[in-house]
Amino acid sequence: MLRYRYLFEQMVRRELRSKYKGSALGVLWYLVNPLVLMAVYAVMFRSLLKAVHIPDYPLFLFVGLIVWTFFSQSLLASATSLVEQASLVSKVRFPRETVPAAVVSVQLVPFAVLLAIVAPVAVIVRGTLDPALLLLLPIVACLYAFALGLALIVSVAHAYFRDVQPVLGAALLPWFFLTPIFFRVQDLPGLAGHDTAEALLRWGNPVAPFIEAVRAVLYSGAAPGLATLAYVAAATVIAVVVGRLVFRRLEGELAVIL
Amino acid sequence: MSAEPGEIVLADAWRAFKIGADRGRTLKELFTRRTARPLDQVQALAGVDLRVAPGETVGIVGRNGAGKTSTLRVLAGIVPLDKGTADCGGRVATLIELGAGFGREFTGRENIRLNGALNGMGKRDIEQRLPDMIAFSELGDFIDVPVKAYSSGMLVRLGFSIAAHLDADVLLIDEVLAVGDEAFQRKCLRRISERIVAGATLVLVSHAPAAIERTCQRIVVLDSGRVVFDGPTAEGLLHYHEMLGTETGEGTTERRPSEHRRVFVEDVALQDGEGRRRSVFSPGEPLRLVLGLGVRPGAQPCRVVFELRQSSGQPVFKAGEDVDLGGRPGRLTFDVPRLNLLGGDYDLVIGVHEAGDPDPGIDRLVGLSVAATPGAEGVADLRGAWSLQTAVGA
Repeated sequence: MLRYRYLFEQMVRRELRSKYKGSALGVLWYLVNPLVLMAVYAVMFRSLLKAVHIPDYPLFLFVGLIVWTFFSQSLLASATSLVEQASLVSKVRFPRETVPAAVVSVQLVPFAVLLAIVAPVAVIVRGTLDPALLLLLPIVACLYAFALGLALIVSVAHAYFRDVQPVLGAALLPWFFLTPIFFRVQDLPGLAGHDTAEALLRWGNPVAPFIEAVRAVLYSGAAPGLATLAYVAAATVIAVVVGRLVFRRLEGELAVIL
Repeated sequence: MSAEPGEIVLADAWRAFKIGADRGRTLKELFTRRTARPLDQVQALAGVDLRVAPGETVGIVGRNGAGKTSTLRVLAGIVPLDKGTADCGGRVATLIELGAGFGREFTGRENIRLNGALNGMGKRDIEQRLPDMIAFSELGDFIDVPVKAYSSGMLVRLGFSIAAHLDADVLLIDEVLAVGDEAFQRKCLRRISERIVAGATLVLVSHAPAAIERTCQRIVVLDSGRVVFDGPTAEGLLHYHEMLGTETGEGTTERRPSEHRRVFVEDVALQDGEGRRRSVFSPGEPLRLVLGLGVRPGAQPCRVVFELRQSSGQPVFKAGEDVDLGGRPGRLTFDVPRLNLLGGDYDLVIGVHEAGDPDPGIDRLVGLSVAATPGAEGVADLRGAWSLQTAVGA
């Protein structure tokens, strides 16, 4: 694997280059989409969710949104990655994992930039520099690995069944609204007494604990709960292990089916 | 058990491909590894055995769909086998399709880095060899231009410069060599032979017999996924052309069964000046056509005719000879002291005309290839000397 570190670097460069070469803003376009989304959502949900009083709501929303954007964009972009690189995959021998991995890594760039913008803002808003911030790096590393594991599955599955990407695109929409991005699970009206529903919202959705963890660190300036951290770690390990397993199993025929 | 660097072992290799766009595979089938219904499958490799020792040069020929490219893709580890084992020792460099690993937006220089990395080279290795590769490609300032602006000839230069400098133990090259100019091809072959001397192995798939004749000592002829010939190049090419010849006859001129003939061509051989069987010649070489003639009872004097045609069917030369064998088998030779043909593929058509034969046809058809000649085009080799005189005074 180490032998191919340089290949990975080259693939990321190629991915970055081929996406935005020729456009005036270049790589900056990766930032435009999430920023526009955030502005829209901030205005919209503010007025819609008058009942909920979350302090510093834009910050609360931003943190959730950038995590979600990274996650969803990684999956959507990696789904088609192998198919798009068909000629490479079927004509050259190299570790195919680098293709979806490069796509996810490219998504990491705008994510990191947005984090670098939001983190100081959060510190200023709260007025305190909390030691919990140190947890941000390992949590983001977990999120990256988690997305990587899922990207392996999604990319190789899409090579076999071209329905995977559109199905994913459709699923991400309701998934977004079920994920506590613009709300807190405990604030939801009508959930009181429905413990299963609440547990499902919190733990049934693997993205939720990641958002919870990042938000705890950035927005609240506190360490996430132990259960959340354990969930994040476990989800990461499972995603990576299963992702590699599925990829290994299915990659053999890639050159034939593409 | 692992092959040593440069060694290739393909043992009882089987591989089928499904044809058609319809892939009715379910997830369950995928995970249980059940093979699909045999009905709509093509058997690309059907029990191929191939052992190549380090330092050997092997050419693979065969008709379209004979399994040439499949063999290469299996050896490269791109496509897995259904059954059997494939093992290539050491670092394997593949050149299967031109520009397959190129980023179109990348410059030539950046593509060298990317391709070196794809072939498992580290950053230091690549940077070290970069100047050599660039010099070898002769691309000059174009090396810093995105490759989307390259011509196919330029792509060959770039792709080949990379492959030639990977210091691979096994080089797998498919056809691509055929593109690009002769001088550069020769330079590539020289570079390859340096690697071969150092112990590297070359497997070359090509339709161009000339390239194989020049480069490979050994040839493997594939047909319907099986090895039908494995041996010295000259013999193998002859075998290959005979195999093709029996089919090329169809559609153009009917190949007549010679069973009813009382004099028939038993054997055709093309020989070089030293009497070795060859099917690829260079312009200007001597060539001898040797026909082994067989007889059946009641043989009469007859006329043996041969005609040389371009691969398009256009006749180039025709000659005949009256032969009286006196009822015994014989050998008829035709000596060409100097083969005045330019590069290309030709067919040699041989027929026996017996008296009273209402429909003389083709008895045998063999292929003859002439290596390309730099600086001359066409069919006839009339190469001479230019001289220029300018008027004295002004």
